[in-house]
Amino acid sequence: MLLEVLNSVFSFQILLFIVLGVFTGICIGALPGLTATMGVALVLPLTFGMEAIPGILLLIGVYVGAIYGGSISAILLRTPGTPAAAATVLDGFEFSKRGESGRALGISTVSSFIGGVVSVLALWLISPQLAKLALRFSAPEFFLLAVFGLSIIASISGNSLAKGVLCGALGITLSFIGIDSITGYPRFTFNNINLLSGMSFIPVMIGLFAMSQAFTTVEKIFTPDQVTQKISKVWPTRSDWKVILKHAPISGVIGTIIGIVPGAGAEIGAFVSYGQAKRMSKHPERFGTGIPEGIAAPEAGNNGVTGGALIPMLTMGVPGDAVAAILIGALTVQGLQPGPLLFTEHTTLVYSIFLGMFVANIAMLLLGLSSLKLFVKVLSVPKAILTPMIFVLCVVGSYAINTNFFDVGVMLFFGILGYFMQKADVSVSPAVLGLILGPMAESNFRRALLMSEGSYTIFIASPIAWVFLFLTLLTLLGPLVGDALKKKKSTM
Amino acid sequence: MKKLLVLLVLLSLVLGSAFAQGTAETATVSYPTGPVSVIVPYSAGGGTDLVARALVDAAKGSFPKNISVENRTGGGGAVGMSYGANAKPDGSVITMITVELVTLPHTGTGAGLYYDQFKPIMMVNSAYSAVTVQANSPYNTLKEFLDAAKTKTMRVGNSGVGAIWHLAAAGLGKAANVTFNHIPFDGAAPAITSLLGGHIDAITVSYSEVASQVAAGNMKVLAVLAPERIAATPNIPTAKELGYDVAIGTWRGLGVPKDTPQPIVDKITSIFTEAAKAESFVKFMNGSNNIIDILDSAAYGKKLAADNELFKALITELGLKQQ
Repeated sequence: MLLEVLNSVFSFQILLFIVLGVFTGICIGALPGLTATMGVALVLPLTFGMEAIPGILLLIGVYVGAIYGGSISAILLRTPGTPAAAATVLDGFEFSKRGESGRALGISTVSSFIGGVVSVLALWLISPQLAKLALRFSAPEFFLLAVFGLSIIASISGNSLAKGVLCGALGITLSFIGIDSITGYPRFTFNNINLLSGMSFIPVMIGLFAMSQAFTTVEKIFTPDQVTQKISKVWPTRSDWKVILKHAPISGVIGTIIGIVPGAGAEIGAFVSYGQAKRMSKHPERFGTGIPEGIAAPEAGNNGVTGGALIPMLTMGVPGDAVAAILIGALTVQGLQPGPLLFTEHTTLVYSIFLGMFVANIAMLLLGLSSLKLFVKVLSVPKAILTPMIFVLCVVGSYAINTNFFDVGVMLFFGILGYFMQKADVSVSPAVLGLILGPMAESNFRRALLMSEGSYTIFIASPIAWVFLFLTLLTLLGPLVGDALKKKKSTM
Repeated sequence: MKKLLVLLVLLSLVLGSAFAQGTAETATVSYPTGPVSVIVPYSAGGGTDLVARALVDAAKGSFPKNISVENRTGGGGAVGMSYGANAKPDGSVITMITVELVTLPHTGTGAGLYYDQFKPIMMVNSAYSAVTVQANSPYNTLKEFLDAAKTKTMRVGNSGVGAIWHLAAAGLGKAANVTFNHIPFDGAAPAITSLLGGHIDAITVSYSEVASQVAAGNMKVLAVLAPERIAATPNIPTAKELGYDVAIGTWRGLGVPKDTPQPIVDKITSIFTEAAKAESFVKFMNGSNNIIDILDSAAYGKKLAADNELFKALITELGLKQQ
């Protein structure tokens, strides 16, 4: 069997498809508006005429590449190419402002690789055991996971916690728009058909991050850049390596676990990893000012999701995230039924996927490191040329997601809002997090109460629920207790 | 940046080849005269999208000026179907219509959509609800399950409030005179996962969606809510033969704006009737657990009208209509 697997992956054709997939994925990921999910869906028809193994590995290549690719534009242009890179903006763009974009991209590439490899190892070695974890999650656990995620707002609020909480509340409020998922009642839709399915997340994100940044740049469009980009070093320095090796493996594990949980994807993995790194850090106040762990953690976290998301898919036929759902479609088209029997009936295929995914991560590392210098050159384009291009990318990206011009309007609205938020020194990340986690928290809270017929004890009925309650309390009260202890020490 | 643009162009070339052009064909009416788009009201990569793309792929030879699939999502299908219904009635826009065309207007979230805005071309496939429980559930027949539901509140998972599988469970409850505790999920997959984890008692999604779990011995199907037994599973009884007169399922088909001239409608119908017989399409449908169920324009029109009445009555009775 081993020989068969090696043969099926290490053929020229398959390696070519993996590299091609990763390359396509990086490009798709780097372009705002084209998400990993969309990239995989777009490439999917190409695999209809292919054999199962090359077809699925091409798609996995796109997936791995796209989750990583989003960080490139996040670091260089403050434009998360995919929602998965929204957390990377926080510290990543600060590097570019200092002229250290090469260093930031290097850290991101190596961390993504480590996160991806950790998740592939988990997928390879302990997926049947981990798969059971996915089944333990029901509505109350999802709700508490979302609440834990929201507690990270405390970590990403920038200078003012009050502003951050307000901004997070804004994001959650925005998520109320659309058809209510439990009763089917249209909320805040003003009889506008475009609002029925809610605020489209991508245009809001592009507006808040990219468009607002482009508006800010317009103010100084003819002043030449003070900062020259140091592009010589993309391979991380010894001190950066220390940080990466400390944070990336842990974030990879966090990402893998988030990936296993059905319905929680790479964007949540990245934010949770960022929050965790900040909690572990001896100098949490420096997060958001452009420190290596602020890139290493979210980037390892989001690539950790890639392997994790495949665990429930390959072992139980249950998608771990939206991309895994498409991969299930891709396997079905090949006449393979993803489900509990896949492991026993198509062992070669399953192990080829493991090995192929490992190769895809290596391809991502090599392609990333070798092309970073090219990417950095984007920043040497004069602002008067680059900024209009970003405008165009923002418009095209928000249109592409649903082919709907309404979304372009949404993007512009949030671009303007984001611009004034920047002026008022309000971090926009909590709003994005609120918009991601709001629906998850709300619908699962109400679904849990439906299931328990109104009894609140369902929220403390399982060990997983207790774990998330504890983690949430730790996040919220930890700094307070820490401060109190410090005070006590100093008065003693 | 230039590099990025070059990449973008290359990328679009690669992706564009998915919708490769076919060869010319002599036509009796001058259709198609330009490029044609097929509107899919759901996202790329989903079940409806895959069927649409496979069908379009089989038909592309008849569209020398290109045919492409366009995903216009939102409003549970209302956005894409409204767009298709209000397109120019010249056959340049064909819409993949689904059962939501006759459910959304009654739940009050159809945004003015109504089935008579379309001229039906053909129904392509159908899928009926399967009442499914965990393999180790104490209930082995539909009757046992429904009798137990009279004393115990059963938590029945569906793919979304007002969605077809919610209506299926409600229709079954109505026929058996029991009330379920309906638990809506965001699509069928999370409902299946929840049943697998033992968090709910049953689900009423389509048979094809649970087939792999049934094959693996994790779940069992008590009955299908279909007019007759499904060919792939001759051993599973229908609810009807067990004495519960309910048959509810989803379907997908093609439609064009109602003012489209008849010759063009006929031409589109003949192109896609051929395409649905193509080997590649049949193979795709069988491989992906989709049941091909062709109805011609007239029969499909009748089904649309009948289903419209069925769901109107059911949704009103369930109190699912929103203000």
